[in-house]
Amino acid sequence: MSKILVVADTKGSDVRKPTLELLTKTRADGLDTDVVVIGHGVKKNADLLAGQGAKTVYVADDPSLEIFSAGAYAAAVAEAVKQAQPAQVWLTVSELGRALGPTVAAKLGAGYIGDAATIELNGDDVVVTRPAMATKVQQRMTFNGGGVKVLGIRSGAFDAEEQPAGSANVVDLPAPPADPRVSVKELVQEDTGEIDLGEAPTVVSVGRGVKGQDGVEFVRPLVKELGAAYGASRAVVDSGWMPYNSQVGQTGRVVTPDVYFAIGISGAIQHLAGMSGSKLIIAVNKDPDAPIFSVADYGIVADLFKAVPVMIEEVKKHKGG
Amino acid sequence: MNIFVPIKSVIDVDLNIRVQDGKVVEDGMSYIISKWDETAVEAALQLKEAVDGEVTVISIGGDKAGESLRKALAMGADKAIHVNDPATAGSDAAGYAKILATVLKRGAFDLVITGKQAQDTDMGATGAMLAELLDVPQVANVIKVEPQGDGAALRINRLGHQGQEVLEVKLPALFSANDSLNEPRLASLRGIMAAKKKPLELLTLSDLGIDPGEVGAAGARVKVLEFQPPKSRAAGKKFEGDDEEVTREVMNLLANEAKIFA
Repeated sequence: MSKILVVADTKGSDVRKPTLELLTKTRADGLDTDVVVIGHGVKKNADLLAGQGAKTVYVADDPSLEIFSAGAYAAAVAEAVKQAQPAQVWLTVSELGRALGPTVAAKLGAGYIGDAATIELNGDDVVVTRPAMATKVQQRMTFNGGGVKVLGIRSGAFDAEEQPAGSANVVDLPAPPADPRVSVKELVQEDTGEIDLGEAPTVVSVGRGVKGQDGVEFVRPLVKELGAAYGASRAVVDSGWMPYNSQVGQTGRVVTPDVYFAIGISGAIQHLAGMSGSKLIIAVNKDPDAPIFSVADYGIVADLFKAVPVMIEEVKKHKGG
Repeated sequence: MNIFVPIKSVIDVDLNIRVQDGKVVEDGMSYIISKWDETAVEAALQLKEAVDGEVTVISIGGDKAGESLRKALAMGADKAIHVNDPATAGSDAAGYAKILATVLKRGAFDLVITGKQAQDTDMGATGAMLAELLDVPQVANVIKVEPQGDGAALRINRLGHQGQEVLEVKLPALFSANDSLNEPRLASLRGIMAAKKKPLELLTLSDLGIDPGEVGAAGARVKVLEFQPPKSRAAGKKFEGDDEEVTREVMNLLANEAKIFA
């Protein structure tokens, strides 16, 4: 049976939800699965990963791995590949994981397909569909020839199931030697404990229509009432009204929450590419012709400065608070 | 500082894209430099202006690649390298990376800057593979870059999983630009005229000593089976009228129909 090696996606010392999505998929398909987790303080996740189906958890845990480095992480993955001998390596395409997949593939002389939204497995064959051209088309792709296949998968492609922790079979990997060419100078923590865009079941995003930082704060109580993550269009981020990693879009975060509120967002294709996979979309925009309405399940044509206070009131009411 | 920027000529995806018989309809399509490759060129030009350097742009393909190179020269790049060989058609990221690495290894380079992803594939794999083949440090998702010392190193801000990280990277290195890194300059008329006289080197695979079987469709490790139209969403409902009334109406529907507060 083909073995899959899943590379865990981490934030700090925690494993992120997309990794649980990948493991839920391999579990559902009855695939023999190992996991490699890399970082600092990440060994604690071993039993969680075992509970999700990992037969062996390869751990590269070292202070030198706290900050992502494509070269160092790829070296750790390559070592896990050498020991686990998988047919496929699966990774989540995240802000940094995006570079890891191809680096691993280049190291192994393997093929790489990224942003897989669907995966069809047929013995050793893998066929994926992935969005391209700002999601205006889909590509059906496959691997040519033998050798390890490296697959980068979109977060939200599969559902994640909670599982009780297991008892991990851990293999410790040596930390790769530190790269003298790169040194970390500073960490500017932008998301001060706020809800992660990639994990939240509800996301509220604002666009140019909020007109400025005051507008961003004007909408924030709605975000809090909904217990949502707060996202933004590229225009908002480029204007400096919200931090960079709140950008939802083709070149920002791709999110697939249950509920997505797009407030004051026109709906340019680059933004839609980041959120059109949301289960339910509600848009507020005073322009009835805004393209966002073409993807919204519920479209509210209204001035957001009038609509948002009503929304806050209604959310409080319906939540029984 | 010797800076190289690989650029790709792509279909203008801001236009209406149609799929027919499993392929993208090319008729009537116009081609442009991939937008984020322009960001990379701009980053190179700014560094060259800061520390005195030379910017060489590289592209792989036919006439359209040549046009893209001329545009980049018009922006201010100093030299261009055009790998023009039919055997490169159908290359995957690994194939492109191999060709680029071979070009770069011919001489000295201090820095390679790539765009975040190409606008046609949106995959963003080539830069990472290239860094691995060149055995240089790579930094992705870069939102700010400053030369350090005499340009022997760069101070780079990138977007990580927890926020911005500031790194110092010794050259030679490769970084890929986040689209927020800069706003690419437009080519001036003077730049367009000057571009015609700038050196443009034409290379074939044979010039580079690359076996055609290792790149192009022949050497590709992955392939596109077909293109399909995008996944569509069913149309929703739009509510217009008094701002506060329609808002209340939709919020009630969200509670009772969509049951989002359940």
